[in-house]
Amino acid sequence: MSETPTSADSFSGRDAFKRRGFRILGIGLQDVIRYFFGGNASLAIVLIILICFFLGREGIMFFPAHHEGLGSYRQAGQEFVDYMGEEIDAHTKFYSAANIAYFAEVNESSAIEDAQIATARAVLANVETITRKSWNLLERKIEEEVGLAKKVAGLAEGSPEIPEVQQMLETRRSEIEKLRVTLRAEVEAALESPDAWSTGGSDRGVGLTNIEKIREAVLFEAFPKAKEEHPFLLELKAASKTKKADTAARLIAFKTTLTEIQSAVKPLRTLHGELRKHATENRAVINSFKSAPQRRAALLAGAENVDDPAEKAKLQAEADEVVITEPDLVAMNAPLYAAVSKYAEVSLPLKAEMERLLQALPSTVSTESARENLDRSRSAYGSFKGVQKANRDRIPSWRHDLPVSWIKSFSAFLFGKQWITNSSWHDFYGLLPLLTGSLMISVIALIVAVPFSIAAAIYVNQLAPRREQEIVKPAIEFIGAIPSVVLGFFGILVLGEMLREVSQVEWLSWVPGFPMAERLTILNAGLLLAFMAVPTIFTLTEDALENVPSAFAENSFAMGASRLQTVFRVVLPTAASGLIAAVLLGFGRIIGETMVVLLVAGNKIKIPDFSEGFGVVTQPTHTMTGIIAQELGEVDGGSLHWRALFIVGMVLFVIALLVNYAAQQALKRFQKV
Amino acid sequence: MHDISEEIPKHRTANPFASKGGAQKRKDVFTATALRLATYFILLCAGYIFVDIIIKGAPVVFKASPPFVNIDFLTKSPETLMTFETSDGAEHKLDFSDYSQFKRDFPDLKIVEEHSHAFSGGGILGPLVGTALLTGICIIVALFVGLTTAIYLNEYSSKGRFMDLIRLAIMNLAGVPSVVFGLFGLGLFCLVAPVITDAPMESALFTVPILFTKSYISFQGWGTCMLAGGFTLAVMVLPVIIAACEESLKAIPMGFREASLALGATKWQTIAKSVLPYAFPGMLTASVLGITRVAGETAPIMFTAALSHKDKLPWQDVNGVGGFLSQSVQAMPYHIYTVAARIPQSEYTRPMQYGSVFVFLVVVMLFAALSVFLRIHYRKKIKW
Repeated sequence: MSETPTSADSFSGRDAFKRRGFRILGIGLQDVIRYFFGGNASLAIVLIILICFFLGREGIMFFPAHHEGLGSYRQAGQEFVDYMGEEIDAHTKFYSAANIAYFAEVNESSAIEDAQIATARAVLANVETITRKSWNLLERKIEEEVGLAKKVAGLAEGSPEIPEVQQMLETRRSEIEKLRVTLRAEVEAALESPDAWSTGGSDRGVGLTNIEKIREAVLFEAFPKAKEEHPFLLELKAASKTKKADTAARLIAFKTTLTEIQSAVKPLRTLHGELRKHATENRAVINSFKSAPQRRAALLAGAENVDDPAEKAKLQAEADEVVITEPDLVAMNAPLYAAVSKYAEVSLPLKAEMERLLQALPSTVSTESARENLDRSRSAYGSFKGVQKANRDRIPSWRHDLPVSWIKSFSAFLFGKQWITNSSWHDFYGLLPLLTGSLMISVIALIVAVPFSIAAAIYVNQLAPRREQEIVKPAIEFIGAIPSVVLGFFGILVLGEMLREVSQVEWLSWVPGFPMAERLTILNAGLLLAFMAVPTIFTLTEDALENVPSAFAENSFAMGASRLQTVFRVVLPTAASGLIAAVLLGFGRIIGETMVVLLVAGNKIKIPDFSEGFGVVTQPTHTMTGIIAQELGEVDGGSLHWRALFIVGMVLFVIALLVNYAAQQALKRFQKV
Repeated sequence: MHDISEEIPKHRTANPFASKGGAQKRKDVFTATALRLATYFILLCAGYIFVDIIIKGAPVVFKASPPFVNIDFLTKSPETLMTFETSDGAEHKLDFSDYSQFKRDFPDLKIVEEHSHAFSGGGILGPLVGTALLTGICIIVALFVGLTTAIYLNEYSSKGRFMDLIRLAIMNLAGVPSVVFGLFGLGLFCLVAPVITDAPMESALFTVPILFTKSYISFQGWGTCMLAGGFTLAVMVLPVIIAACEESLKAIPMGFREASLALGATKWQTIAKSVLPYAFPGMLTASVLGITRVAGETAPIMFTAALSHKDKLPWQDVNGVGGFLSQSVQAMPYHIYTVAARIPQSEYTRPMQYGSVFVFLVVVMLFAALSVFLRIHYRKKIKW
């Protein structure tokens, strides 16, 4: 049919809807456009698949390599040695807690004197910082004076320059005199300023007794720089020393017990040390055997690329030198098997001795800190006993040639308690410390963020006047636009310091974990992330409340319910699954956040010590997102460490998908209402 | 919404349904006040952060005397700061380049108490420019893909499994942590993405020769560069852009399309003439919103594009467009991360830290405000 119908006769109803235009294989221009848009739309699906693929491509080889590493760890006998190491570590924990208790007891006796000395030292240091510039100037002048004086002495034989140099010397001396006077005044002024007396709270008030004497002592030492210490300080030191000695004499039995505890483990320590050396050598042999084919191939490839025949021959010879003989594992591990009986000899007396020594620890101590540490020590003894018991079974039954099961290799990653890289012994890739860190920070963030954001959403959506609503809502949503790195920066410089200062307030010391030693802690990161999650949770909750049909509320009002009764008994329950979705998506945002935790969480790879109760939040930690950001830039592409980081990324990806899925399920239920 | 009881005038207290006050009323007022306090506490925290950064950051960027702006801070790149005293007791604080000049000018002066503070001198031009470039590339890519996706979802789609799948994928993409996008960008754009080259690298995944030329398409990746960073950011921001574009398309009345189709226009003509022109404000909002999201992201560009120190600006000493795009750049968020956590802290690094954060925050917040303003403005202005 032609483009323009020439007459009405040629037009038939059938042609009106016929598809026109140029087509290839039945596909016209309109279809091409349609497919183009469709193709772009399906890019989202492609991207999800690509993310899976590329994380997998870099990461999936982690598991075989990790498995093989664990195999070598066992073959070299390192596993065997670490069994003993665990026992020694448990013992050290027991010992050090008891030791801290002892010193807490001893130091407590002279606490007042020590605090005063500490205060004096701190104030002296502060005064020196404040007057540093004048000091430097004075010292330079003195230097010049000495130089000039030398010059004068050198030119002794009636030289004409002498008067001039003499003159200069005189000016210098008078300048120095003047400086001394001003410096003295400066030191005195500095002593008056509150800056000088800020001791960082280390003395907890006790050191501020006898202030007049401390001031005198500081003045004495600060200017002119005294060679000897002020008598008051010497007196304090002597008093502190005698008091300590008295307490030590009283606690002599405790001290002996401690010494005995430490010496009891010595035989085991010696045995462990010897075996450890041996296992390290074994591992080196195994590693070099495993990498031999690669090294050989690399040398041969190098030989092929070199043109110079002499060089070629040299590389060839080197390649031939790479021996690929399998190491004799049985012979290598013989000393370890021989050590099994030695271990039994060492371990039984250790057990008996330790039981006796545990009873010998004093049951009553006078200070709070000592009591806490003794309790900690006793609970550490429990875990020491557990390790000993386990070792009595697993050390005799250990075999170097048992294959490592895949289940064990997976669980060593998922539930491993150590993330140790670049170690000369063995690299451990255990997810648990990172996962606990991430989860603890998220939980704290949610505990703080959820009440605030839901309260704000209820207020804005249900209670606020329209005008207020129009201002508050965008303002809270605005928070979401603050870049996370800015919040992290704020956490380092402002919030960390603020939290620490609050924690040192005297009447807050009952709060678990206070006073805080660190600035960068789980708490700090959790609070910042809570702030970040507020806009997300707020917006989604507000949407959910908005979507509750108004008839629900109207009915409730008609029944005589008040506004808040309606909100809490009708609107909120209806929107409940929307709220759950909001919290879940907030959690997804928190656990995936990188910069805040990298900057603020403290980056210490260790499972937090839960024995402190809620105080655990004042410890530093590391997170899954943080470790990727921190370490990926520093490792070689393709190494086991690099792959491990990709697998951690994959775990994060899976968590994100699961959280998303759960949130969508919750939303679906909400939409059915 | 007010409390209903308050809206009833006094003279009508005869109303039998009027609130009688009492315990329930007191409880209501108490709860409402608590909710209100919680709301304002959030805003108070936000205000504290802003005020702290403005108070400490503004003095770095502005000054009391004309031209009122610290030009050096905005027109120099980060440098090492040298602090020292000379033997005449004077204290000096100079950027490294000025310091070398000073030493040449006064060779006789004895320098004491010399300290260097990395990244604490100069200005923030390099990072600003880098962020602008990364954001630009990202928005171009994301807007193209996002808009076409939105058109497909809103104009062509018919309900079905394919549509559900696309929506599911977009929703999941929105939930992926940013550091995972960084890993993905590293794996795809830096290590595998295709380049056209005469001499493919050995590490390439595979190579395809181009017919009749000596060149190959080599899947060897782009390396750490701004193109890779921009693409990674684009993937990350895609869900936001799609949602914003779709919203703007949805706002266009169905009648526009129907009228156009009824006049005999093809589908494409309808989209091009009757839909897209009216979606322009929405696209503008979408891109501003995208910029806000992307400019602050650090994790995705850490391994794909950013580097902490660079002497030259991106357009100095490059060959061609390819060379321009395949260099790594400094970026504001990465620069802030560097000065906040990777260098030793001292009082001399404070101005650089607070100055950078202040400028960055102000720029990002201006864009955020712009996106809010645009949305409200167009919603008010355009009445169909």
